[in-house]
Amino acid sequence: MPELAISTRGLRKTYRTRLGRKVVAVQGLDLDVPAGGVHGFLGPNGSGKTTSIRMLLGLIRADAGTMTVFGRRVPAQLPEVVGRVGAIVESPKFFPAFTGEKNLQLLAEAIGVPRRRVGEVLEQTSLAERGDDRFRSYSLGMKQRLAIAATLLKEPDLLIFDEPTNGLDPAGIREIRETMRGLGNQGRTVLVSSHILAEVEQVADTVSIIGHGRLLSSGTVAEVIGGGTATTVKVAVDNHEAATRILAAAGMAVRADGNYLLVDGAGQPAEITRRLAHQELYVSELVPVRADLESVFLELTAEEKI
Amino acid sequence: MVRLTTVELHRLVARRMTVIGVVGLLLITLLLLFATWLEARPSSAVEQRAAQSQYEIAHQQWVDGHVANEAACNEQWEKQPDPKPKREDMCSYPEPRPEEFGKPPAVFAELMPDLLHGVSYLLLFAAFLLGASFVAAEFSTGAIGNWLTFEPRRLRVYGSKLLAAAIGLVPVAVVVLGVLVVGTYLIVDQLGSTATTTGKVWGDLLATAGRAVVLTALGAALGGVIGLLLRHTAAAIGLAMGYLVLVEAIFGNLLNKVQPWLVRLNFEAFIRHDTTYYVNQCSSTSDGGYLCNSVVKTLTFERGAWYLGILAVVLVVFGAAVFHRRDINS
Ligand SMILES: Nc1ncnc2c1ncn2[C@@H]1O[C@H](COP(=O)(O)OP(=O)(O)O)[C@@H](O)[C@H]1O
Ligand SMILES: [Mg+2]
Repeated sequence: MPELAISTRGLRKTYRTRLGRKVVAVQGLDLDVPAGGVHGFLGPNGSGKTTSIRMLLGLIRADAGTMTVFGRRVPAQLPEVVGRVGAIVESPKFFPAFTGEKNLQLLAEAIGVPRRRVGEVLEQTSLAERGDDRFRSYSLGMKQRLAIAATLLKEPDLLIFDEPTNGLDPAGIREIRETMRGLGNQGRTVLVSSHILAEVEQVADTVSIIGHGRLLSSGTVAEVIGGGTATTVKVAVDNHEAATRILAAAGMAVRADGNYLLVDGAGQPAEITRRLAHQELYVSELVPVRADLESVFLELTAEEKI
Repeated sequence: MVRLTTVELHRLVARRMTVIGVVGLLLITLLLLFATWLEARPSSAVEQRAAQSQYEIAHQQWVDGHVANEAACNEQWEKQPDPKPKREDMCSYPEPRPEEFGKPPAVFAELMPDLLHGVSYLLLFAAFLLGASFVAAEFSTGAIGNWLTFEPRRLRVYGSKLLAAAIGLVPVAVVVLGVLVVGTYLIVDQLGSTATTTGKVWGDLLATAGRAVVLTALGAALGGVIGLLLRHTAAAIGLAMGYLVLVEAIFGNLLNKVQPWLVRLNFEAFIRHDTTYYVNQCSSTSDGGYLCNSVVKTLTFERGAWYLGILAVVLVVFGAAVFHRRDINS
């Protein structure tokens, strides 16, 4: 079993609104995030992503369940691992009247990191020139970058980004995506939450999908697609006729699409490769169609809403 | 904890609110010195001449009449029923002296204690305000959530904030009190009298100033607690004002027996080293009437110190319990 960066079992949180109504935000969440790489934490708005993240960070109390971060019980042993965890929850929050640099200096001082790190992380997030401006005057993209700079002060092994691209323009979204991919490639673990699947699937190695505070599905992107019923896979193979026959015989729906075949109902995409290889037909390309991951997501989360 | 407190001190010093507060305090101190200077300034030539002629008239009257007046009074005194009042009390006609007319000279030993008491209220208010805004700002901006991802041990976070507020305001109080005492001394030394400033007077002044410093630090920490509880500076100030007006002023006046349980009187007992207050004592008289008397009572320094100490501990512990359990949702 690979090392887990995050693991939760039976995690639960009920909010009480001002009027005394109870809102179950998270109900028995079992989440496993493998160490290393980017993990997408997906779910529609209000599905409990932020609440789960706040519980992991000790910002709010769980009503029930257990959580570990790098094997340490949270929140009891959080002080032992917090130095390895950088997090941005919802929108970046700093002291508006202080400069970006001052905000980082205070944080650096609090954790005993030398001052020069502040300059380094500002440089890394392309904020060096605006470090002397007040946080209040920053654009949303700059605020987000400052928040990332703050998490980098610790040189963390685990980064938690809660909907980091909310409100950003396409260039900003791309920048954040590249940053996350880069961090993942360095061997760090990135947990990124989003309600837009398309935003995460390009960078995520693995994903978890939640709805109404429960885990619906998790695994690699391919696995999650395979688990859904509405799977479409684009297949490139030499002999279209033979391949269509073989796959149709296995109960799959096959359509031609230019030089490709579009295959539905394959279960695991690997199943297609296996069946064809058995008849000495070799697949040169096998791509899950993007729209289908979206439909898996919608399907899974729609079921929950009934 | 030391490191966290140092960081919080850096933040306190870097805040614009703190700078504005300190500058404001110093300006008010200078205004007080200016007022003292106006008070102590000798009166104008016109006023002096008027006082002189008043004196001359009074003296002439005394020269002309004091022998006859005294004799008449003595006669009256003989006729008084026993027990007679003292003859000196009833029939003394002292010669008027020039210094009894016109403006009395400023005396440092008499002036300074009241100034110190007044300024201690001001310091307490400023410290409360700065402490409340120092902590509340973190909650209203949401920066506390980010802070806790760097230091999740809440009690340390809490302690370091209150400690920084308290420590940070000590030098402010020392400077304000120092400027006030030294400034007043220099002014009065020039224009009035500092001759009666004995070692005991200095000792009392120093003790009062010391107590004012302690209260300033306490005010800053308690401001921090209230700021944490209410999360907004305006709410903290609103609560403090509302409490002072409704409970301390209105309720305290309507029911003056509760005064010794209110903050203001205990504060006064602490800073003045004992204080007095009045209560109405009413009782039925033997002839069926109902009589009320205003009676002077004393609230001791020790009582004030205990009261403030216990109040501070209760508030700090309550704030710690709330923060320890609080969900940080913004
Ligand atoms: N402070 C709160 N008080 C009451 N209900 C809340 C609070 N925060 C979140 N909720 C509710 O809990 C549910 C989960 O919210 P959240 O964790 O923010 O979801 P997500 O981050 O996935 O959008 C929602 O129904 C939301 O309305
Ligand atoms: Mg959210």
